[in-house]
Amino acid sequence: MSIRVFDPTAEDAPATQPGAARLTSLEGRTIGLLDNSKFRVRELLDHVEAILRAHFGVAQVLRFRKPDASRPAPPKILADMQRCEAIIAAVGD
Amino acid sequence: MILPRQTLHSTAYDLADALDVNELYQQKGWTDGLPIVPPTEERIIECLQAVGLAATDIVGVEHIRQRPITAEKVAINAVMAGCLPVYMPVVVAILRAMCQEPFNMHGTAASTGGSAPFIVVNGPVRAAIGMNATHNVLGSGNRANATIGRAIRLVLINVLGCIPGQLDRSTLGHPGKYTFCIAEDEEDSPWTPLAQERGVPAGMSGITVMAGAAPRQLLNEWTHDPEEIVETFAAEMRHNMLTYSVWSGNYALIIPKQLRELLVAAGWHKHDIREYIYRSARVLRRDWATVGKANIVHRRGGPDQEFTALRAPDDLLVVAAGGPAGGFGMVIPPWFGAKSEAMTQAIDVRTP
Repeated sequence: MSIRVFDPTAEDAPATQPGAARLTSLEGRTIGLLDNSKFRVRELLDHVEAILRAHFGVAQVLRFRKPDASRPAPPKILADMQRCEAIIAAVGD
Repeated sequence: MILPRQTLHSTAYDLADALDVNELYQQKGWTDGLPIVPPTEERIIECLQAVGLAATDIVGVEHIRQRPITAEKVAINAVMAGCLPVYMPVVVAILRAMCQEPFNMHGTAASTGGSAPFIVVNGPVRAAIGMNATHNVLGSGNRANATIGRAIRLVLINVLGCIPGQLDRSTLGHPGKYTFCIAEDEEDSPWTPLAQERGVPAGMSGITVMAGAAPRQLLNEWTHDPEEIVETFAAEMRHNMLTYSVWSGNYALIIPKQLRELLVAAGWHKHDIREYIYRSARVLRRDWATVGKANIVHRRGGPDQEFTALRAPDDLLVVAAGGPAGGFGMVIPPWFGAKSEAMTQAIDVRTP
């Protein structure tokens, strides 16, 4: 006797939107930093920007700021971020 | 009952017995910590049948991370929670409501603020599935109240990854994260049921869900004056605004029979309560000095800046529920102002 049961998790359900292709190097790239507007995120992203410039040879760092930590970035910011080849989103709580 | 031929797509596990199932599911982190009912094929398919969905049907999509929630996964989690198949139309309606963009499900589930979906069920389905609207309404003891809310939590954990310390970043959380689901006491109240006030046709069942912080209990047995009774609720809301979060949005008030009958006798309807609360549940920035927050009194609008608990009277959800004795009431504050909007959803007509 045995009992057959089923996995309750999403397993490999595909997201309805595919993720962007991953970069193999940051050298010469334009990288966006998304500030979620929490209290300490600016200091965190300043530090990340310094590391990206000093150690990874990024060509350009663009900064963006969500007006609100609890909701998604508005369409205008999403459109502006198209200029970047990769985005780093940060939570500075 | 003749079950349709349905193929399940989830990975199957063959185990010796229900105790082994529980141990596996605990080890994998697939529960809220409590034991589960083994999700067998027969029970899963009964649940799908009860709501008229195919396994691959999409109940909703969590729009921020674009995660689809399939009927099969909902059914599995509902069985695990202990739901009977007849609860499924309610579970599905709640998830559909939570997938509406203004509910902001991702934000409510991931936030340090630690809210839980507070669910109110209205209409004939309440009696059909034996929900509790009276004694201990927010507490334990009723299968439907307990397991419908639990099914939603298990979907959040298992399908959407709202695991504490991972996607769920709640600092504290609250006990409503096990279940936070009640029925309105429509039989013992002359007031318009919540779902009908919010657009569900009379005679049809519906659910309302809001991202609720922990409930705050109050007591006033020392007046028959409707304004004094409702003022106690307003005072509790003002405290919440000062000690927790000042931002305006949906609040829920649960008004049990003893206070409700005094309000009814005075000719007050839900509308009158909303209007009173809208006028009274306000604080000034200077009031923060009384609760240890003097450091923010002089920011932005200055000490005389006024905040309202509600953006408009209709932000207030008034619910008739609770046992018959005692001048108690409950205030359920919003997670974070209007960053999540309460949603109301009709329950599919196939409901029993």
